[in-house]
Amino acid sequence: MCVKQIPDPAAPAALDPSTRNLVRDGKLIMDESDLYGVEMGLQLIDAAGGGEVTLVSMAPNGETNGLRNALAMGAAKAVLVSDPALAGSDALGTAKVLAAAIRRGPFDLVLAATESTDGYTGTMPVQLAELLGVPSVTFAKKVTVDGASLKVDRQTEAGYDEVACPLPAVVTVTAGVVEPRFPSFKGIMAAKSKPLETLSIADLGLDAASVGGAGAREEVVDVQQAEARQAGQLVTDEGDAHEKVIAFLEDLKLI
Amino acid sequence: MNFAFSEEQEELRRAVRRFLDEKAPMTEVRRLMETDEGYDPAVWKQMAEQLGLQSLAIPEEYGGAGFSYVELIVVLEEMGRSLLCAPYYSTVALAANALMTSGDDAAKKDLLPGIASGETIATLAITEDSGRWDLDGITCSATRSGEGWVIDGQKMFVLDGASADLILVVAKTPGGISLFSVDADAKGLSRTRLATMDQTRKQARIDLSATPARLIGNEGQAASGITKTLDLAAVALAAEQVGGAQRCLDMSVEYAKTRIQFGRPIGSFQAIKHKCADMLLEVESAKSAAYYAGWTAAEDSDELPVVAALAKSYCSEAYFHAAAENIQIHGGIGFTWEHDAHLYFKRAKSSELFLGDPSYHRELLAQRIGL
Repeated sequence: MCVKQIPDPAAPAALDPSTRNLVRDGKLIMDESDLYGVEMGLQLIDAAGGGEVTLVSMAPNGETNGLRNALAMGAAKAVLVSDPALAGSDALGTAKVLAAAIRRGPFDLVLAATESTDGYTGTMPVQLAELLGVPSVTFAKKVTVDGASLKVDRQTEAGYDEVACPLPAVVTVTAGVVEPRFPSFKGIMAAKSKPLETLSIADLGLDAASVGGAGAREEVVDVQQAEARQAGQLVTDEGDAHEKVIAFLEDLKLI
Repeated sequence: MNFAFSEEQEELRRAVRRFLDEKAPMTEVRRLMETDEGYDPAVWKQMAEQLGLQSLAIPEEYGGAGFSYVELIVVLEEMGRSLLCAPYYSTVALAANALMTSGDDAAKKDLLPGIASGETIATLAITEDSGRWDLDGITCSATRSGEGWVIDGQKMFVLDGASADLILVVAKTPGGISLFSVDADAKGLSRTRLATMDQTRKQARIDLSATPARLIGNEGQAASGITKTLDLAAVALAAEQVGGAQRCLDMSVEYAKTRIQFGRPIGSFQAIKHKCADMLLEVESAKSAAYYAGWTAAEDSDELPVVAALAKSYCSEAYFHAAAENIQIHGGIGFTWEHDAHLYFKRAKSSELFLGDPSYHRELLAQRIGL
């Protein structure tokens, strides 16, 4: 399971004025949208009657705070890639690092969130699948493993598609499709002693020029203020407000 | 001695808070307080199966997780903060403690695993019509009947008495104060729901008429175990009170910052500032008392009887004061049914009186330090 550790979304975010990238120097927490993938992974293990969930994460300053939550939920171990050379990574750079970390051992299924809460590109998982040379299925709302193949209900605007693909594969899990379990204190205590490996890019045999800011092909060229919201339309209720609201929504073709 | 909660204990607090925010928000409190059962079985089950809250402080040999009272007060503080409607306090702080202090290994092996797994909802019936919390007030009597015992009498203000599966009853025998367990569906037992001012915490009257009961521990020797249970329960209640008091302070400060009157936030007026400052002082002192009491309970320290009485008396007053001031600071809206201030006010009042009021506990404190 790919886990991203992000600045607390409740705290005001800051951009680096020179690179226009998000500042990630403070304490990081687990991206909440990853909780669903962790839960999905744990449920698949329960259903399969064996196996384990390994967390893979890339974060600055050896941050492990966010990984501990997922370990407390029941993940077996974690691998963190942390290297100063990774500052300024774009989505592809992140995918290269995670692919290198995942390739170190055998795997059946790679899970990720559909997109992160801080970056929102939503492109990393498919890039990761390409680099690993395995199929990718996005927006999963239900995943079942059937022998060596995978069945996924893939959410679409109109409903869902039933998709089947061989394993191993990369699957992105839509937020809200499962209820992430709450950890017990036993789980929280056990998380302390679960294996947590920290790797540098040299450990992964990656060239510093191909990843991080040096290898990034994406660049934030400009940042603009979001457009201020226009003043709304005031409806004075003289007993007919509901009709006006209905007419307004009909105009927008919302009803 | 470590005076701060560990990182793992803080994580437990965050997990419990997130759980309660999601599963037991104020809308649920208001829905459940109107029901007879007063709790949501699905939430109760999830508390047991995922978070393992019922089993937290029960030793592993009796099906528990084997952690200490310090972890338990973290959980209780969060439950007090959210006004959780569930038979947790009665099951864990009253019944489980009564069993654990009973010295009856067979009963512990029989009954604690059910509590730990969330299967059994249990409570402890001590006080009677007199409303007395000291054991001299017990008139309920148990007599031998064949191999076992039967109980006659009446118990009042039994927390979650109407929803409990297992009721531990303190009764008098020729040998003295004894503890019994009674099944909720036992012959000759009837339960009547009591109308309570604090709707978030249900109470019942229990009438026993030749009701078959199982003796827990030795006949006539339950007094010290029950006294200790009451101390442990007082510490648990103090932790809940701290959580509720802190919530009242948070609500007050939030409102004082955002409510504008005469062109400025009302928090800038001295009369409001002073109220908030006094509340903060009392809430912080209450925390110190409750946390220290939790530590003495975890360590099974000789100080427990003294500190429990101190914590219960101080935290009761701090919570009630915070809940009352919270209404004042909110002004008109604080008096409305829709606002949550009255729910905290009523919980503060019911907790202040439960197990004995502050004067009673100060008297206990005076006796226990030899005054």
